[in-house]
Amino acid sequence: MGLNIVVLVKPVPDPKEPPRFKPDGTLDRLAMKLALNPYDKYAVEAALQLKEAVGGTILGVSMAPPHALDALREALAMGVDEFVLLADKRLAGSDTLATSYALSMVVRKVWSNLGKLDLVLCGVESSDSNTAHIGPQIAEWLGIPGVSYVDKILEVSAEAVKVKKIIEGGSMTLLVKTPAVLSIAGTTYVPRIPTLRDVLSARRKSVTTWNIDEVGIDPARVGLLGSPTRVVRMWAAEVKRKGKVISDQDPDRLVDEFLEELRKDGISLR
Amino acid sequence: MDFTITKEQEELKAVVREFADKHVFPRVVEFEANQEIPPEIVKEMARLGLFGVVFPEEYEGLGLDPITAGLVLEELVRGDPECSLAVAFLVHTSWGHIACKYGSEELKEDVIKRAARGDLWIGIATTEPGAGSDLTGISVTAKKEGEGYVLTGEKAYISGVKEAKEKGTWFKDGGGHVTLAYTDKTKGHRGMTLFFIPLTDPGITVRLEKEFGRKGWSFGSFTINEVKVPEFYRIGDEGKGFYIAMEGFDHARAYIALTCAVAGKRALEIAAEYTKQRRAFGQPIAKFQGVQFQLAEHWSRLEAAHALAYKALWALKMEQEGKLNRFEVTKIAASAKLFAVEAAKAALDGAMRWMGAFAYTEENPVALAWKAVKSYDWAEGSLDIMRLIVAREVLGKEYIG
Ligand SMILES: Cc1cc2nc3c(=O)[nH]c(=O)nc-3n(C[C@H](O)[C@H](O)[C@H](O)COP(=O)(O)OP(=O)(O)OC[C@H]3O[C@@H](n4cnc5c(N)ncnc54)[C@H](O)[C@@H]3O)c2cc1C
Repeated sequence: MGLNIVVLVKPVPDPKEPPRFKPDGTLDRLAMKLALNPYDKYAVEAALQLKEAVGGTILGVSMAPPHALDALREALAMGVDEFVLLADKRLAGSDTLATSYALSMVVRKVWSNLGKLDLVLCGVESSDSNTAHIGPQIAEWLGIPGVSYVDKILEVSAEAVKVKKIIEGGSMTLLVKTPAVLSIAGTTYVPRIPTLRDVLSARRKSVTTWNIDEVGIDPARVGLLGSPTRVVRMWAAEVKRKGKVISDQDPDRLVDEFLEELRKDGISLR
Repeated sequence: MDFTITKEQEELKAVVREFADKHVFPRVVEFEANQEIPPEIVKEMARLGLFGVVFPEEYEGLGLDPITAGLVLEELVRGDPECSLAVAFLVHTSWGHIACKYGSEELKEDVIKRAARGDLWIGIATTEPGAGSDLTGISVTAKKEGEGYVLTGEKAYISGVKEAKEKGTWFKDGGGHVTLAYTDKTKGHRGMTLFFIPLTDPGITVRLEKEFGRKGWSFGSFTINEVKVPEFYRIGDEGKGFYIAMEGFDHARAYIALTCAVAGKRALEIAAEYTKQRRAFGQPIAKFQGVQFQLAEHWSRLEAAHALAYKALWALKMEQEGKLNRFEVTKIAASAKLFAVEAAKAALDGAMRWMGAFAYTEENPVALAWKAVKSYDWAEGSLDIMRLIVAREVLGKEYIG
């Protein structure tokens, strides 16, 4: 069949190194060694397993400054075939809206160059900002289906993918038309360790660098000025909800048990 | 003089570090208890390319230099301070290099390609029940017979005999040893020749020793009962075996020096962490100056050993580039092994002391490192022989017995 897969990857401050902060409390990215976002490795692994199963080409895409390429090379070492880097000073300070817009434009261009696109895979979030916005936003920009927290790609055909998605307290299975954007959760796809030969040959793989003009990105919609988000405060969210799974062979009994649970929680039912 | 490493070397190290942290370190105690490295770990080493690091690319190796091989080895030692992985790596790398450098084209096609893929392990067999330091005392003989040679005799205290004999468990094709034999006993040193002998040959019988340490990689003897090998399994010319073996020892000694320095440092780090947690007389024992000063002394010596080990690896590289001669390389490699083994033993002794009675258990990686480093009092040349070599190179041959 041969799938054309785009994998979005991001350089982040190396999680193995102690973080360094600027006086204002934000991460001092320039002072820190960069590494491939750990969540993205699951997406790369998912792409590699798909390619091994049905064939195809994997194209890595990243929006990052040129010096980040060393960190991104790990994706090439893992087996990504080619790479496109969107690098432009005007992108600095972009929030998730601006970033997803810019990346969606790169995907559009790649799509038209390839003639056919099947899947856009990305990590569920990045370890340095953890918004989990990018995947769903890109799907919106491109007007194609998007599924986040994908645990496993179960089946793939020329027009659709069947995926298992993690939801709070369980999972659901979806059949999705392709092309689609899938954010891969870090569970099933344990990233492979590249071989030494892969590391050496990654340096010889082709990397294309584009600036925003080459992609047709509107400069007014990226960078600090093109970003509506203002970070006011950061804190860890607390999940107080609790889930309970009720199962029973008999559907009538199941409904009764379910209603009983609701009653116990003080939800009045007529 | 520049100690920085290239981006590429850093990336290679990162891969091995990930493997060592995830798959090796958590299981080291198991290596000792079960007296073997789990086969899946050796197979993963093969998949990563760790058995082909220095072999030329035309024979499916990675074509990297000894310094880069050392950088990679360092990560294996950090992951496995009981050093079984280091033994598997360094013996194969050193003696595979020798087989490749002096072997025939057919041998390279047959043996080196499989070795580089990690389908075949390469060991070394010079020692015998009756001869170790003085190799003129060996009794294994090789007789020319038709298209090949027939070997007979016994080798003893040899690393990797089980892994080489048992086809398919660790390596697809088992392994073989670069073996020193007399082709003409009347000529002494000049009558010795090296051969590659597959231990899977039915004429080879292996007997395992119960090792004292580094138990993950086997150690034992093998008898050679009229084993016939093809002529292309001869490594180098007849009569050159002793000299070629000496070159192989230089490679092994440089890697051993690095192994000991890194195992020692790793153990000091583990012990230092322990001294911060462990309290006595109202404070962490790390606060006692008696501990601090010893730690600093040992660390400094290991730092020197570490640098000298890299100088030895650099010397191997310079020799390959025609910039240093054999004698210079031999001298540096012998100094490096001598210094690193002594420095590491002393440091490990200290590290064990600070860890108290907990050090004296089979679960303590520092104790495992101590037992492993101790093997290098002898393996690949005893420390006295290192002293003899350095003295000979400094004073001149005429002053040595
Ligand atoms: C764990 C382990 C693994 C090994 N693996 C291998 C292997 O894979 N292949 C292999 O071929 N061999 C292997 N060996 C053997 C090793 O190479 C020998 O132990 C070493 O060469 C010393 O030989 P020996 O044990 O016979 O000691 P001997 O030669 O009997 O020496 C005994 C003592 O006398 C000292 N001595 C000897 N000559 C002199 C001298 N001229 N001046 C001063 N002191 C002297 C020695 O330093 C030593 O302390 C291994 C040994 C060990 C412990």
